[in-house]
Amino acid sequence: MIPIPRRNTPDGQRMEKIHKECIDSMKGVAGCSILKCATPGDTTVVTGGIHEDFQLNRVLIRMRAKPPAGKLVVVCTKVEKEWRIARLAGIRGVPPEFVTDKVYDNEQDPQHDIFLMRLDEMPETDGFPEHFRQGWKRHDDQWA
Amino acid sequence: MSWMRITGYADKFGVHPGDKIKFYVNCDGPKEYKAEIVKMIHGDTNPRGPGLIEEKIGASCDGTYPGMKQVIYSGSYGFVADKPQFKIESFTLQCWIWPTAPKTHPKYWKHGAQGLVTKWCDGKGYGLFLNEDGCVELRINDEKITTGVQVRDHAWHFVAASYDAETGEAILYHEPQIQYALDPEIPPVTKKVSTKLAYVDGTPTVIAGYCGGLDSSPQAKASVPAGTIIAGHYNGKIDSPRICSKALSRLDIETMKLGGQTGLTERRNSGPSDRLSACIVAAWDFSDGINTIMGKDTGPYLFHAQIVNCPTRAMTGHNFNGHVFDWKSAPEQYGAIHFHDDDVDDARWAVSFEWDVPEGTSSKCYAAKLTSADGDEDYIPFWVVPRVGEEQSKIAFMVPTISYMAYANEHLANNAGGAELLVYRVPIMQQQNMFLSEHREYGGSIYDTHTDGSGLCLSSRLRPILSIRPKYDHFLSQSPWQYPADLHLVYWLEKMGYAYDVITDEDVTYDGLARLENYNVVITGSHPEHNSGPQLDALHNYTQRGGRLMYMGADAWYWVHSYHPAYDGLGRGVITEMRRCESGIRTWRADPGEYYHQGTGELGGMWRYRGRYLHSVAGTGMSSEGFDISTYYSRTEESNDERVAWAFEGIGYDEKLGNFGLVGGGAAGTELDIVDTLLGSPPHTLVVATSAGRHTEAYLLVMEDYGFSQQGIDGTQHPRVRSDIAYHETPNGGACFAFSSIAFCGALPWNNGDNNISKLVGNVVNRFMQDGPLPPPPAAAYVHRGRADYDPPMNKQRK
Repeated sequence: MIPIPRRNTPDGQRMEKIHKECIDSMKGVAGCSILKCATPGDTTVVTGGIHEDFQLNRVLIRMRAKPPAGKLVVVCTKVEKEWRIARLAGIRGVPPEFVTDKVYDNEQDPQHDIFLMRLDEMPETDGFPEHFRQGWKRHDDQWA
Repeated sequence: MSWMRITGYADKFGVHPGDKIKFYVNCDGPKEYKAEIVKMIHGDTNPRGPGLIEEKIGASCDGTYPGMKQVIYSGSYGFVADKPQFKIESFTLQCWIWPTAPKTHPKYWKHGAQGLVTKWCDGKGYGLFLNEDGCVELRINDEKITTGVQVRDHAWHFVAASYDAETGEAILYHEPQIQYALDPEIPPVTKKVSTKLAYVDGTPTVIAGYCGGLDSSPQAKASVPAGTIIAGHYNGKIDSPRICSKALSRLDIETMKLGGQTGLTERRNSGPSDRLSACIVAAWDFSDGINTIMGKDTGPYLFHAQIVNCPTRAMTGHNFNGHVFDWKSAPEQYGAIHFHDDDVDDARWAVSFEWDVPEGTSSKCYAAKLTSADGDEDYIPFWVVPRVGEEQSKIAFMVPTISYMAYANEHLANNAGGAELLVYRVPIMQQQNMFLSEHREYGGSIYDTHTDGSGLCLSSRLRPILSIRPKYDHFLSQSPWQYPADLHLVYWLEKMGYAYDVITDEDVTYDGLARLENYNVVITGSHPEHNSGPQLDALHNYTQRGGRLMYMGADAWYWVHSYHPAYDGLGRGVITEMRRCESGIRTWRADPGEYYHQGTGELGGMWRYRGRYLHSVAGTGMSSEGFDISTYYSRTEESNDERVAWAFEGIGYDEKLGNFGLVGGGAAGTELDIVDTLLGSPPHTLVVATSAGRHTEAYLLVMEDYGFSQQGIDGTQHPRVRSDIAYHETPNGGACFAFSSIAFCGALPWNNGDNNISKLVGNVVNRFMQDGPLPPPPAAAYVHRGRADYDPPMNKQRK
């Protein structure tokens, strides 16, 4: 398992910077990747990001693979106008709950903020033996 | 926050001119709503595209209607109407159970006791339950007896209970089929009960639930039986339920597992023995009539249970032996029904308004647009389809309605931990997803697991399907998907001024070749992944006879689907079934022995494993998928072959084809198809453009293309992670053009349709729509070709 770096370390700060640059370059694309568009908003040439920063790539995969309960998602609250950050309940029939009051005017910025929130929330040793729980015995990670 | 106060559905997907279509609307809050029929042209709100485009047509049903709340009574069960034979003084109840959610979270949407076999309502009657703590419980009026032992989930248990009114002795049995080394024994629980069984009139006997009461509200007419609310929906399998009218000994209970044997000259009673036959009230055998919505009673009264909300049948029973995998060959091993608390076959709402579609109505995409003065809004899409023989155009757009049903009300972003890994970014949910996340009664998609975690393999169109909506971006692509994505193509057809008809998957499934043969060209949607066998037959017959097929997307012709015949009386294609078997892209996986459809009995899974490779239908087949961003195509040398060079008139050889678009920002993206002559692409197929080498790490090779887990399968490394635009001729002047990417149609509206993808597609439509056979290829094109040895040296020399 690749450790989750702390935000205040050089690794954490580097990843935050690259992630932000990639996210900013994707504004306007009907999609998103942590890659940098040579021309902002145009995916013709994309480089950097997860294709060149091995640690960022693996940390993002670790984050994406977290089980649904408590997972952060983006919710579009006004079509093409407003987005907010919410957290999944992990219980069928219980809707996601908003976790911040911040309203975004694009669908990329909340994805960056979620990256930062996860850096703060995930322990550095996430996934190592000290985190063993009963759910490991019945694949409660709910990967596909 | 209230997300969607107006929702609705229609009784039909496709309606003929001259026929009636009925609309069912839930309007929960606003006193009234406005309904207008609109022609749907573009549903994508992306500011980089043309935006939402709809046209009012001035239909006779346009107007303002009173709002009425309508609810869906989801959750499957079997019931028999109130009959005197069930109103007994003593009893024995027994069945096998395989519970999947015996104990639920207190916040779970249907937390509480679950009914197994019940004739119980409001503290009167009898029944076997799982209580709120997940323990087997016997109820005799308001007396409750439990073992106090939580049943193991996903395991078979035999449960039984008897009550002797004369002695007052009640006995409850819970016998797990599997005993692990450290499992404590579960002795039968005996209790003296001094009560005389009483009954609430009208209480049905229920399997997998119990009678929650009678309700005279207008909404409750949608429950079955109308006005009787079934509560305590059980999640899991039930096999061989029995009700007897006396308290049986444990030995007699064992014998009664044999059920209601049919009579013979030498053994003339229903039941395993003469003595026991006298007490049988009902003995259901779910292995008989698996393709029906009836639970057969083999007892003397023929109390066949009506099965509501289409639970999953053809499920292995407690006695499955692992030697036979087709329920038709050994039905006695398939005596289980898997009930789910979120199954829904038909919302059964009251009709809100109707439209008599005038003769002569243009065959197009339409929707009933519903709005309130407070800004509430919903659309109910439908399609006006000409009758066979009354086609209006040379071009048909085949609307992939089976695929729409497969994705109906999809919950993946909310449920699946792996969903974000798949899309490689943070999922974005919309109001439809938020509404569905707390309205599980609207049912899920065939991509979802039920609320008990088991695979969802049946989808009904008789319910609001909030994913078939304009202005809806799907979490998978952060852009339109399926219905709204197909409107990219519709916009382009309209913008370019083509006359076209629309037909649906169900039309092709039921009408076969007749549905297609009067068109010069059939154009698919962006993602026709889910198909019936008759539909694939029709497409093959069409192209073999000279028809032209334009395959506008990717990951098509993939899964085996069938419409459930038990619902044919409600219209065409009401419920579609699919099983996710041993390979393919599976968000859940069917259990061993559960690969055969309950409706048609055919083997489910991928068409590929039925001997029908995807690549054989239009020339290309699924290679990979990724959902972050899209890219563009480059032409290949084969695009200059005179067999196909006409398609590139006006397009420079070095142009970047489709480095723009409303899905991922490029024409090549999300799911990708390639030519593979070993997987069914005709050997003379030309690859005219490819996106090879340009995809991101998010794109991964499909699992059916490799035999073991290995590195090197992503878009930055694997040569088959690409999209091939391909062309091949079919006999009698027919042809197929495959554009091989789900994102492809998203490039068509770019720059108001003035772009090189639009040019390419226009060239193909113009050639394919002409009357008569296409011009034959040059004589030199007729050469022998292999499959693995695709391009032998002698052919190269000819070039």
